[in-house]
Amino acid sequence: MSRAYRITVKESETRELRGSDEICTQLELLGILPPEAMGKLLADELKGRGFAENEDGSLSRKDGKLTVTVDPCNGEVSVKSEVQEAVTIEVKREASGYDDVGPGVEGVRERTRIDLKKDIDKKAERETERLQSQATEALEKHLAELQPELSQVVNKITREALKEKAKQMGTITEIAEDAESGDMLIRIEV
Amino acid sequence: MPTDDRDTPDERPEPTGPPAVSRFEYNLLRLLRFLLGHMPAEQVQTLIYQRVSPPPPCLSRTCTGLAQDTLSKAVVLSLVRAGGWRREKFLRHGQPTDGRVWERVPLEDRTLAFSPQPLAFVFWLTAEKPTDAKEAWEPARSPLTAADELFFAYALDALRPLHDVHPTLVRKNAFERNPFCWLLSPGDFCETDDLELPDFAPLFHGERAALLECLQPVLAQRWVRSERGKGQIADWRRMRHQGRAEQAALSAFLKAAEASRRQDLARFVLKAATTILGGTAELTPHYWTGGLQGAGPQRLADRLDTQRSALALPRQLAQLQEWDRAARRVGYFDDDYAASQLWKADWEHARGDEAAAKARRLMEQLDPLHT
Repeated sequence: MSRAYRITVKESETRELRGSDEICTQLELLGILPPEAMGKLLADELKGRGFAENEDGSLSRKDGKLTVTVDPCNGEVSVKSEVQEAVTIEVKREASGYDDVGPGVEGVRERTRIDLKKDIDKKAERETERLQSQATEALEKHLAELQPELSQVVNKITREALKEKAKQMGTITEIAEDAESGDMLIRIEV
Repeated sequence: MPTDDRDTPDERPEPTGPPAVSRFEYNLLRLLRFLLGHMPAEQVQTLIYQRVSPPPPCLSRTCTGLAQDTLSKAVVLSLVRAGGWRREKFLRHGQPTDGRVWERVPLEDRTLAFSPQPLAFVFWLTAEKPTDAKEAWEPARSPLTAADELFFAYALDALRPLHDVHPTLVRKNAFERNPFCWLLSPGDFCETDDLELPDFAPLFHGERAALLECLQPVLAQRWVRSERGKGQIADWRRMRHQGRAEQAALSAFLKAAEASRRQDLARFVLKAATTILGGTAELTPHYWTGGLQGAGPQRLADRLDTQRSALALPRQLAQLQEWDRAARRVGYFDDDYAASQLWKADWEHARGDEAAAKARRLMEQLDPLHT
C-alpha cells in the first residue's frame, strides 16, 4: 500500500541588493578665461560649497543617497543616486509525493529546493526594483534642488572670470553689481 | 548564377514575338521588377511565399539578358528620378561643379557594374520561401560593387511591407553591412543594443559618391518622414533602439564625410533637420516622444536616454554648425576655400543657424540640470 507524504522546505538568504540611477550634464561655462583658469575658478567655488577633491582631480559631494561629481576641466556633472540594502528573503514551499511511486523524499526535497531558489531570485528582483525606484525618486527630488545651485555656481564663476579678465585688460575703476537682475558693470582704465 | 549557354541566338531561330522565358524565369523577372520598385508588393506576394522545388539548374540567356536590361535601366532611371536630373552643385576634386549628374560626373565614375550577386538573390527569392527557406541565402564573400549595394538597398526597401520576410533578411551582410541601407533606414537595424555599423568611408569616392549625390533628395525625404513618424512610436524600447541606431549612423556618416572633405554629401542631413525645425513654430521634445505610452523605464537615466535618442537628427545640427564655423575660418588663399564656401552657402540657404539654435533649445529641455 502506498503512503502519501508531505514535506515543507524553507529557505532563507540574505542578499546585498542595490538600486542606482545617474544622470550627466555639462555646465555651460563661457570661455572668458583659458580653460585651466575657468576650471580653477570652478574648483574653488565648488570647494566652498562642500565639494572635496578626488584623486583624479574631480570634485564630489555626498548628499545623503546622492553623490554629485563635477569635473572642473570640462564642466561635466554627474549626479548618482545609490541605494543599498541587505535584504533577507525567506521562502517556503510544500510538496507531496508517494513512497512507492515517483521520486523519493530526497528527490522531492531537491526539486522543491530548486523551485525555492527561483522564488528567491524572483523576490530579489522585486526588491531590487523597489530599491531602484527609491534611487530614482531620490534623484528626481534632488535635481530640483541642485539645478538652482549649479546655476548660481555658473553665474558666480562667470562674474569672477569677467572681473579677472577686466583686471588683465587694465585698471578697474568701478564695479557695480545688481544681484536682482544679475547685471554687472565693470569700468576699466586702459 | 549559372546560365544556359545552349540558348544562344546562333542556335535558335530569331524570335518573332516577345522573348520567351520559362514560368520560373517569368516569376524571377517579375520579382526583380518588384525589388526595383516597379511593382507593388501585393502583386508579387504569392510569388515570394511560394517554393519552387526543385528550382531550375540555370537561367536561359534570354532571361539573364532581360534581367541585365531591367537592372541597368531601372537603377539608372531611379537614380535620375531620385535627384540625378537636378541641376545641383557638388564638389569634384575640391571644386564646386554645377549641372545634372551626367554633366558633373565623368562616365567612368558613374558606370554601374553589377556582380552576379543581385541575380543570385532574386533567383533564391524566386525558388525559396524566405520565411521558411530550406536553403538559406548567403551572399558570396566577394565584396559588393557600388551598384550591388544600391540594388540591395532598394530590395530591402521593397520588402519592408512584408513584415515576416523583412526581418529574416535584414541580418544578412548584403543589407546589414550596406551603408546605403543604413542611410535609407537605420531603424531596420535597431533590434539589439549592439550596433555593427558599416564603413561609410567608401561612400565618398567614385561611383558611390555619384550615387549619393543622386540620392540626396530621397534621403532627405526619408529622414523627414522618419522624424515625423516618431510621434507615433509608443514603445519606449523601440524608440531608444531606433534613436541609437540613427545617432550612430549619422555620427559615423558625418565623421566620414568630414574626413573625406565631402561635407556637400551630408546636405540631406541639413535639409531634413531644417525641414523639421524650420518654420515659425517652436517644437518641443513632445513632437518626437509624444506617442510614448506609459511611464517608461524605471530609471531616470534610461528615460532621458530614450528621449535624447529620439532627437538624433536635430542633435546633428551641432556638428553641422561646427562645419560652418570651420568654413568661416578658411581664408581666400587656403586650399579648401571653394569647398568651405559651398558649405557656407548650403548652411545659409537652409537657415542653419536658426535651426541649430532651435535644436539646442530642444536638447536643453531634456536636460534636468540645465544651467
